[in-house]
Amino acid sequence: MKRTFGALALLFLLGVLLVVASPSTGIKFGLGGEDWKAYRYTDQYYIDHGVQEVGGTNIVTDIVFDYRGYDTLGEATVLFTAIAGAVALLRPWGRDENE
Amino acid sequence: MSKGRDMGLIVKTTARATIPLIGIFGAYVVSHGHLTPGGGFQGGATIAGAGILFLIAFGLGEMKRRYNHHLYSALEGLGGLIFLGAAMLGLGVAFFYNTLWHSGPVFNGQPGTLLSAGYLPIMNLAVGLKVFAGLVSAMVAIAAFRRWNK
Repeated sequence: MKRTFGALALLFLLGVLLVVASPSTGIKFGLGGEDWKAYRYTDQYYIDHGVQEVGGTNIVTDIVFDYRGYDTLGEATVLFTAIAGAVALLRPWGRDENE
Repeated sequence: MSKGRDMGLIVKTTARATIPLIGIFGAYVVSHGHLTPGGGFQGGATIAGAGILFLIAFGLGEMKRRYNHHLYSALEGLGGLIFLGAAMLGLGVAFFYNTLWHSGPVFNGQPGTLLSAGYLPIMNLAVGLKVFAGLVSAMVAIAAFRRWNK
């Protein structure tokens, strides 16, 4: 009984999420009317303006390195920190005699 | 202790033949990151795959002879610094402003040519260097962690 109720609740939550996340019926933040779509769903803007604003014909690189540059900076920081931590934890140099 | 940990003759010969090709393909992916699918992360991971293939095929002892820990640490830091420096080039307008593309002296060719797209090639090279050095360092550190054998 409990399992059935849990599954039904999960299905209900999934349905609510589908309705809320849909562009046509979902909740809208910020601007009213139809303008909000242009500000929230920016993919068509990137496809149209990416080549002349950033210059690369690979739109993904345009987005990653220019429009979303801070995200890439954080990603590089995460990679740097993860590898520094892994090397600092795992390296045997200087602690054990060289095997 | 890490003697005799390499793989057989067939694997070593195949690795000797394919490692340069993998490296060349990774360098192509990095350097054409602003034109074709791929980029710094993907190309750097591909070149690091060549390094990891070397480590697996030839063993840790051979890898330790070729691998300089300080050099790879410096390369990773250098990649990150070049990335930050390229981002700061357009600091007069905004952080991550592509000033080389809009009004720069170099990298301002037609879209689709190799010397275009402002700081994107610089950033691709920097991130590729960083990812390559980082992944190879992490893999060597993991391979050198063998204390459970004692």
